[in-house]
Amino acid sequence: MRLIIFKIFIIHIIVFAACLAVKAQDVPLMVVVNTKGPVPDLTFSQLKSVLKGEKLRWKDGTKVVIALMKTNTPAGISTCKKIYNLSPNDLNKLFLALVFQGKGEAPVFFNSVSELDAFISQTPGAIGVIESVPGNKERVIHIDGKESI
Amino acid sequence: MFITSQITDRISFLGESVFKFSPSSPTDFDVSVERVVFKYNYSGNNSILFGKHHTPIDYWNDSYHHGRVFYPTIYRPLLFDANIIPLHTTGFRLQGENFGNLKFGYDFMVGNGLGSTDVQDNDKTKSLTAALHFEPFEDFRIGASYYHDIIAKGAIPHGFTQPITQQVDQNLMTGSIAYFGKHFELLAESTLAYNHSDSIGRKQTSASYVYTGVRIANKLVPYVKVEKIIYQPGEMYYHKDNVTSLIGGIRYEISYLAVIKLEYEHDNKEIEGRVNMVTAQFAIGF
Repeated sequence: MRLIIFKIFIIHIIVFAACLAVKAQDVPLMVVVNTKGPVPDLTFSQLKSVLKGEKLRWKDGTKVVIALMKTNTPAGISTCKKIYNLSPNDLNKLFLALVFQGKGEAPVFFNSVSELDAFISQTPGAIGVIESVPGNKERVIHIDGKESI
Repeated sequence: MFITSQITDRISFLGESVFKFSPSSPTDFDVSVERVVFKYNYSGNNSILFGKHHTPIDYWNDSYHHGRVFYPTIYRPLLFDANIIPLHTTGFRLQGENFGNLKFGYDFMVGNGLGSTDVQDNDKTKSLTAALHFEPFEDFRIGASYYHDIIAKGAIPHGFTQPITQQVDQNLMTGSIAYFGKHFELLAESTLAYNHSDSIGRKQTSASYVYTGVRIANKLVPYVKVEKIIYQPGEMYYHKDNVTSLIGGIRYEISYLAVIKLEYEHDNKEIEGRVNMVTAQFAIGF
C-alpha cells in the first residue's frame, strides 16, 4: 500500500515538473520598445536580426539597445527557444563572440519585467522581449502583425 | 585580457592583451598588445576603425583572434605559424556588416604593413586589405579577400628572427567557407600567396585547411582537420617547409566559457619528417 502511494506521489511530481517545463517553453512573449528609434512593426526575421545584434542603428540613427530577461527566467528561456532557436548557453556564446570580434554589444539582462520595462522607457533605441501580459500596450510593437509571439 | 568600452553613443574602444609564457623573459611571461581599436559607427551598419587590428584577411584571424575558448581546435591552422597570414595591421579600416537578406559585409583597410612596429612604420608603403563576405543562408558564410604589401629590405616582419635581405612584393588571395550549425560544423580556407623579389622573381605558396565537426550530445564535438602547405621551389621569403597535417580531436564544451579539447596530430613535414603529437587543452574565459 505504501509502495503504491509512493509511486503515485512520484508520478505526480514528474507530471508537475513536466508541466512546469512545458509552461517555461510556451511562455507567450511580446516586444516592447522605446518611443525613440524602433519602428511600430517588424517581421519575425527582422526581429531576430535586430536581437542578434545585426542592426546597429534604427532608421533615425538611434543606436539599437537590446534588453532581455535573464536566460534562467521563464521569459528568458522562451526567448532563447522561440526567437533565437538557441539554448541559453549558445545565446551567451553568440554574444560573447560578437563582442570579442568588436562587432556588437551584448544585451542588457534583467531579473524582473519591471526593471526591463523601466530600462526600455528610459533608453532611446531600446528594444526588449518580455512575457506577454494584458494591459499596457503603449510601447508594444507588432511582429508579423501580432502583439504576441 | 579583453577590454571594451562604450565611450559615446557612436565611439567605442576595444583592447586585447595576451600574457604568454616566455622562458627568455625575466618573469617567464611576456605581455603582447594584440589589439587596440577605436571604432566610430558613423552610419547604420558602417563604421570606421583605427588602431592595431587582426588583419581581416580570413575567417579564423578575424573571428577568433587569440581567444582559445572560441577555437574549434586546440591550435590555429599551421599557415599562421608559417607566417603566411599577416596577423596584425595597424591602420585605418572601413567596416560594414549585415546588409540585405544575404548579410553582405565588407572590410577595407590601409595600414603600416609588415615590418613596422606597433608605434612606427618602417617604410613609406602601406598595406592594403580588401575583404567581402555574405551569408547565402543562416550560419553559412562565404568570404574572399585580397592583401597587398611591399616589405622593405631590412625589415623584420612578425615571426621572423632575421632581417629580410631584399624587398618583397606580396599579394595574398584568400577564400573561405564557414558553417557552424547546431549539428554540423565546417570551416575551409585557402590562401594563395605570391611573393616577388628582383633576384628570385615571383614564387607561389598555397595554404589550405578544412575543419569539420559533428555535434553529438549537445556539448560534445568530435572533429578532424586536414591542412596542406605547399611552397614553390625557390621560395625565399617564407621558411620553405612543405607540410601535410591531419588532426583528429574531440571538444567538450562545459559552457560557453570553458572548453576541454583533446587532439591527436600527425604532420608530415619536408624538413622535420613525420611528427606525431597528442595534446590536451583546457580553455576558459572570465
